[in-house]
Amino acid sequence: MTEPVTASVRIAAPPEVVFPYFTDPALAVKWIANAAYLDARPGGTLAIDVRGNPARGEYLVVDPPHRVVFTWGIEGRQDFLPGSSTVEVVLQADGDESVVTLTHRDLPSEDYRRSHREGWGEFLGLLAERAGSSPA
Amino acid sequence: MLRALADPHRREIVRLIQDTELPAGQIAAHFTLTQQAVSQHLTVLKRAGLLEERREGTRRLYRFQPASLEPVRAMLDEFWPDALQRLKRVVERDHPKRGAEGS
Repeated sequence: MTEPVTASVRIAAPPEVVFPYFTDPALAVKWIANAAYLDARPGGTLAIDVRGNPARGEYLVVDPPHRVVFTWGIEGRQDFLPGSSTVEVVLQADGDESVVTLTHRDLPSEDYRRSHREGWGEFLGLLAERAGSSPA
Repeated sequence: MLRALADPHRREIVRLIQDTELPAGQIAAHFTLTQQAVSQHLTVLKRAGLLEERREGTRRLYRFQPASLEPVRAMLDEFWPDALQRLKRVVERDHPKRGAEGS
């Protein structure tokens, strides 16, 4: 098992305002996606294009305005297929603000790299494309 | 580091030396490139920390540094914090706090 990636942010708006940005495609495109198809109910599809990468998953928990959990992967990426990892977002009210905590679990492990060497060239290419398209 | 891998020749070099240490000449022999071009690719990869260079007499030997790639994880380590910062900016722009604008 690999350690989860975590990130959090404080936003000057209550959870009721922030939550839909994780479930409404029209709002998702404002911050995370170039394009989004979101069917925000358990078992519903999450499909967003992030910097040209097709991120795909399935909503597992939709509990407005405090918690949303979805699977996450990149279509066509053997090391990171849709369904292979899980993102949990928790929104806590603090006065009239929100603290958003995101935890991304079950990420691909080192072992994967050792056992899937043949796919490396393609994999590295995809990585490089992603990095190349990032604003940094 | 990732830009170093954007070039297909450099990715091929990484593949060649991911399990074994090879001298520059032997790496160059796999390509139709000039030895100088291969040498430049090796320099880029070395600067990116992707390979280790060792001298043995006049030969230079190269080996891949597997620890240099923590691929998906490293990317997400930056991706989610960046994304949440964007979320913050967007939400706070869309929903300015009453009174916070000084109106």
